[in-house]
Amino acid sequence: MITRPIPVPPKDARLNWHLDQPFRLKHLVIAVLLLVLLVVTGQRTEMDRMLAMTTEAVGNLVGLNDDSQVVRGLGKVADSMWPPTLATSEEAARLGDLDTDNLPWFSRIESTETVRQRLNTDTLELETTTETIEVLYRPMGYVQTVFVKMIETLEIALWGTLLAVSLSIPLAWFAASNYSPNRATYTIARGLISLLRSVPELIVALFLVLAYGFGPIAGVLALGLHAAGFLGKFYAEDIENADKHPQEALEAIGAGKIKTLWYAVMPQVLPQYVAYTAYILDRNLRMATVIGLVGAGGIGQELKGRFDMYDYGHVMTILIAIFLFVFVLDQISARIRARMI
Amino acid sequence: MNATPQTMVQLNGIGKTWPDGTRALNTVDLEVPEGQFCVILGPSGAGKSTLLRAVNGLMQPTEGKVNVDGIELTPGTEKALRKKVAMIHQHFNLATRASVAANVLSGALPDVSLARALCGWFHPEQRAKACHYLERVGLKPDHLRRRAGELSGGQQQRVGIARAFMLDPKVVLADEPVASLDPKISRDILALLRDAARDLNATVICSLHQVDLAREFGDRIVGMRDGEVVFDGTPDEFDEQRLNRLYHNADWGDGEPREDHPEAEAEPARHAAMGGA
Repeated sequence: MITRPIPVPPKDARLNWHLDQPFRLKHLVIAVLLLVLLVVTGQRTEMDRMLAMTTEAVGNLVGLNDDSQVVRGLGKVADSMWPPTLATSEEAARLGDLDTDNLPWFSRIESTETVRQRLNTDTLELETTTETIEVLYRPMGYVQTVFVKMIETLEIALWGTLLAVSLSIPLAWFAASNYSPNRATYTIARGLISLLRSVPELIVALFLVLAYGFGPIAGVLALGLHAAGFLGKFYAEDIENADKHPQEALEAIGAGKIKTLWYAVMPQVLPQYVAYTAYILDRNLRMATVIGLVGAGGIGQELKGRFDMYDYGHVMTILIAIFLFVFVLDQISARIRARMI
Repeated sequence: MNATPQTMVQLNGIGKTWPDGTRALNTVDLEVPEGQFCVILGPSGAGKSTLLRAVNGLMQPTEGKVNVDGIELTPGTEKALRKKVAMIHQHFNLATRASVAANVLSGALPDVSLARALCGWFHPEQRAKACHYLERVGLKPDHLRRRAGELSGGQQQRVGIARAFMLDPKVVLADEPVASLDPKISRDILALLRDAARDLNATVICSLHQVDLAREFGDRIVGMRDGEVVFDGTPDEFDEQRLNRLYHNADWGDGEPREDHPEAEAEPARHAAMGGA
């Protein structure tokens, strides 16, 4: 058996190696430049005023100073928005098919008397007439309307996601550099993906409303097209980064590109695909409430209408509904994810 | 076996220069007859993997000709040739998140139409064959639906072997199939490979690092070094002196053992620099 001592370097040995400190003057200069940039941009975006006003507001709330613009503004909004409107009342005479003996659930007929003064053109005197109007009062009527609109929003989000997934799968194939048939298809697919992703949903929806009219079609298309760009990019990059070993095994026996993609790439990237799609669904849900603002259907359209009519009570109901919906769906998707992983 | 086995794999003057100018293979000539278990030995970077990958065209040689079972390797014949040549890989190369069954069946993909492949609707004979080979390599029916990545290394290589035999190959290329397995499992795996190949009278070209296994399983040993074949003979002819020369001495023919040759310490670094294989 051969045993040799492990060599130890002699005490006066000097190696021709260098192990530098992690920071140098160069890094200090960069840090100073970044600081200057922060100060300049902060000034331009009024960050100093934001800080002052917020401090003032906090001071007002704890009773240190008497007045704060921020607190006053928020107070006004809160006053006009509270309480949220839950009920609806519609003139019975206008509801043609109303059967007074068989009213909808939880609704009742109420009569309101309105006093009107009208100028009699013959006598040129003001006459006072009292009109009795029967209204159908539904105590939860507006909640019901909002619920229906929320369901419509959910449907827009679901169809937008479905459209995005079905568009992005072929896009991803062409946009993955190792599977795209040739350089031209790759460039076109990448360009298309960048184009789709670069335009925000809200702006796409604005144009689509012009093309398809008000309603959910524009919403579904806007969400689907934008998300297709997003998913296409991420699906394609996952294909490119997938483990090369199983692909090589199928290449070695002469299986074609599509078969290799299906048997050696798809199983490996599927969990990531599910995660991306779940994120897009989540994002589409939130965006679907927003794109209604430009008339693309769903709860946003209702919100915009009420906001423009200064019905702040209704706006409050809608905002609460949106919060509850997003919260509940978050919980559900978290449960599903936990079960899948 | 035939009385006079015909040549199955023929490599004529294969050379490979990588784009960076490294010479990975230097005009290698090799003829492997039908049914032979041919082991390739040599230090890392000797060009063993590159040579194997030349046989099925995974690596395009810069010069020379490849001929397998009478088909010359050209871009036009590549697909037909690859159907005859199976490959077993060092890292098993399974789709680890797919089931064992899907991995084995994927070995039959060239014989399945695209529509069937996308639906996973393989022919009943192919399903039967997949089960047959999985049983043959020592797996159990309840392994079928498990993910390939859940299996141990040895079991994964068994799946790799089952996959390789799905197309009844004429040639099986094994690129360090047991490099990451323990000695007992390595022996079992190579025995499986040898027996399965014998049943089909398939030729096996197998690169190895374990000299004892090479002597045990090889009908023939080819020693490679710096992109050239430096030994070609039976296991009996491959004695200790030749082994030492293959791995430790730069100059073939200078037969000094390692302990008396202090410069040999520097050798591995030089060979690592060859890279590429």
